[in-house]
Amino acid sequence: MFRIESDRARFREIVRGRVRRDLKKYLSSGELIGRAGNRVVSIPLPQIELPRFRFGQNPSGKGGAGEGGGEGQGNGEGSAGEGLGSAGEEPGRHILEVEVELEELAEMLGEELELPNIEPRGSKEIEGDGGRYSGIRRHGPDSLRHFRRSYRNALRRTIASGLWDPEAPRVVPERDDFRFRMRKTSPKPDASAVVFHMMDVSGSMGREQKEIVRIKAFWIDTWLRSQYKNLEVVYIVHDAAARTVDQETFFHLRESGGTKISSAFELCLSMIQGKYRPEDWNIYPFHYSDGDNWSARDTELCISMLRDEILPRVNQFCYGQVKSAHGSGQFKKDLDAALGEEEALVTAGINDREGIPDAIRAFLGRGR
Amino acid sequence: MRLKSELPPELKYQAVVTEAAAREAGLDFFDVVFEVLDASDVNGVAAYGGFPVRYPSWRFGMEYERLEKGREWGLSKIYELVINNDPTYAYLVRSNSLLEQKLVMAHVYGHADFFRHNVWFAPTNRKMLDTMGEHAVRIRRYIDLLGQETVEEFLDIVLSLDTLVDPYLPLREHSHPAETRSVHTSASERARRALDALSLSTVPEEPPPEPSLGSRADLPTYDVLGFLSEFAPLDGWQRDILEIVRAEAYYFAPQRMTKIMNEGWASFWHSRLLTGGILDDSEILDFADCHSGATSCPPGQLNPYKIGLELYRYAEATGEDLFQLRRVHNDVSLTHKLVDESFAERVLRPILAPAGQGQEEEPDWRELKAATLRNISWGGLPQIELQAVDLEGEGELTLVHHHDGRDLKVGAAQATLLQIERIWKRPVRLRTTLDERDSWILVRDGAGSVVDIQGSDEAGGASDENLRNTA
Repeated sequence: MFRIESDRARFREIVRGRVRRDLKKYLSSGELIGRAGNRVVSIPLPQIELPRFRFGQNPSGKGGAGEGGGEGQGNGEGSAGEGLGSAGEEPGRHILEVEVELEELAEMLGEELELPNIEPRGSKEIEGDGGRYSGIRRHGPDSLRHFRRSYRNALRRTIASGLWDPEAPRVVPERDDFRFRMRKTSPKPDASAVVFHMMDVSGSMGREQKEIVRIKAFWIDTWLRSQYKNLEVVYIVHDAAARTVDQETFFHLRESGGTKISSAFELCLSMIQGKYRPEDWNIYPFHYSDGDNWSARDTELCISMLRDEILPRVNQFCYGQVKSAHGSGQFKKDLDAALGEEEALVTAGINDREGIPDAIRAFLGRGR
Repeated sequence: MRLKSELPPELKYQAVVTEAAAREAGLDFFDVVFEVLDASDVNGVAAYGGFPVRYPSWRFGMEYERLEKGREWGLSKIYELVINNDPTYAYLVRSNSLLEQKLVMAHVYGHADFFRHNVWFAPTNRKMLDTMGEHAVRIRRYIDLLGQETVEEFLDIVLSLDTLVDPYLPLREHSHPAETRSVHTSASERARRALDALSLSTVPEEPPPEPSLGSRADLPTYDVLGFLSEFAPLDGWQRDILEIVRAEAYYFAPQRMTKIMNEGWASFWHSRLLTGGILDDSEILDFADCHSGATSCPPGQLNPYKIGLELYRYAEATGEDLFQLRRVHNDVSLTHKLVDESFAERVLRPILAPAGQGQEEEPDWRELKAATLRNISWGGLPQIELQAVDLEGEGELTLVHHHDGRDLKVGAAQATLLQIERIWKRPVRLRTTLDERDSWILVRDGAGSVVDIQGSDEAGGASDENLRNTA
């Protein structure tokens, strides 16, 4: 193998080390979110270059035309007369961006926060990729011909038909003698999960509160995605009424008005009863708010809905209370008081960005 | 990857035709060996600086990743690579069109002639392909014995400093061997000893010798790597690695000094040879397209292909002996010699001071020339000189940045000085100009600081004291 591949592997290893080291920082900043694609996240790593003496940009540079020169020096040392490059070959001083697979990022997250793997309780059986050539059939391509079986059949037929001559033990196979290997697929359970992100978007949830929710949702999704092959995410926003929205809207919507948390719970529940039935899905509802609710009556309603309808159907229900200037924080207290015993309920208070890792650990640390 | 693969017949034929045309035109070179590689293998070789084998380093992997990404996204493409070696090795990209291969071959013969005859390449190691392989073996052995992390850490420090060499030193030594600073024992001999010491003894290393210089240090010098190799308190294997990096740095240094001349020469000849009979009529348009791509020069970028090509054409028009020029000059001296008002106005102005940029004052042609020279002088790098060692005191090293109007990037400079300190194990300082003020960048005990010494008599006095020059 070409040796450069091992240098590349080493480079990637170093990069992973850096990312791991800085994970705490990423955990409480939104930096990575905009950089995540479907499968990979690209992370800027300015500090990986070797330090060297180089020119900075000083405005006081003498000689008017000087700045025009730019850094057209190309590859410097490395280029042994390389070139005829088309335009754009100049490496310039770009910040290096490295791509890390989301799965790998999740793995780092798991190690950093010591998250246990989740035991899927899903029962939805679909045909997995798993399959082996363990079957036998009468037709098939030559490449799959099972020699021993074919020969045995031919031998058996030869003997049975009395053509067998021990002096001249010749066996001529006929078409019917041939046997071929066959791929047998074995159904493998495939766990599916759905995440409900519900957020209070009433007037008291400010920009910073939403940013915290956004960061948390990103990491939670990243983790769950690594645990379940098939993860669906539903975004629900509510003030006095609830509706499902797309991701973009979820994080940027700014509503005002009252707060009726039960509206979101109702919508979530109806989806669980409809599309995301607990027999087929691992269900993770998350709700984020600043703890204010419209009335104590509505909170009552929420609690009874959780206890009687939602909690029995879901893997875990998480409530994250983001501290805001106006929020009372009452809802968490009410939930804890009424449902503190319930195993499937986790509540966490988040004061600021620093609190995000702890909240993530609280939510995902139970391995449910 | 193996060298010495057989060229496909049509390329082989092309190589023979092109070589004959090149010799006919007066070019002269070592044998040229062409290798055909896939695009990603060419990127691998390019990441290794043109060589099939280098010592292990993540830095090459990073460069490879960058090149591969550029290729996958269609941003950049390497057409060819040439190694200064005897025989001269050149790589062709398998996926290139026949026309592109013809162009590359002619281009390669230009480089090959330049490598052989330009005086700055005279002292370079012409068996570098083998030497790189030996270096790789040595460093791999250190890795086996000491572990990857240990070796890598030291290698990274030294690689940080691999531009701190004196590009004029090899030619000086080459032409006046008597003056050569005695290179102690030969490099290979010392390598053997270093390896022996490692593999034989588990006994504790002797304490590193004090940096005792006596009067032997030849200061000031630009050859910071050479100085460190000789006087820094290093283990045998560290010294050997430093020597390896230094040898490779000196091998590459002339390429930095002659980028314009080298690319210009190759472009001049590929253009002349191809349009002088190698191409048939149907290929001319494609050739022109390809050629103009390589020599395109957007405002603000001094494309060496373009500048070099224009310089040689200008020289030819004014009756200069081209072969003589390519023999004796480097980028700076050639630019200095050839650029006059007419050249500066025609070629440099559109690049450096394009019309319609709303500059208050149009620069004079002399300013354009000066800006160009500043850009290419010292291979485009800051000029850093090791000036003094404080013999009586702590053994502090003093370096000087010869400021040419462009400030250093302070953070990077400090980080680099820290690397020197880690090798020298004593304080290091660098004198430079920051925001038009005379300044020190100091490094001591793993921490850096910046001191403005202008207007501060105390600091100024102290610095003069410390600037004891042992030369």
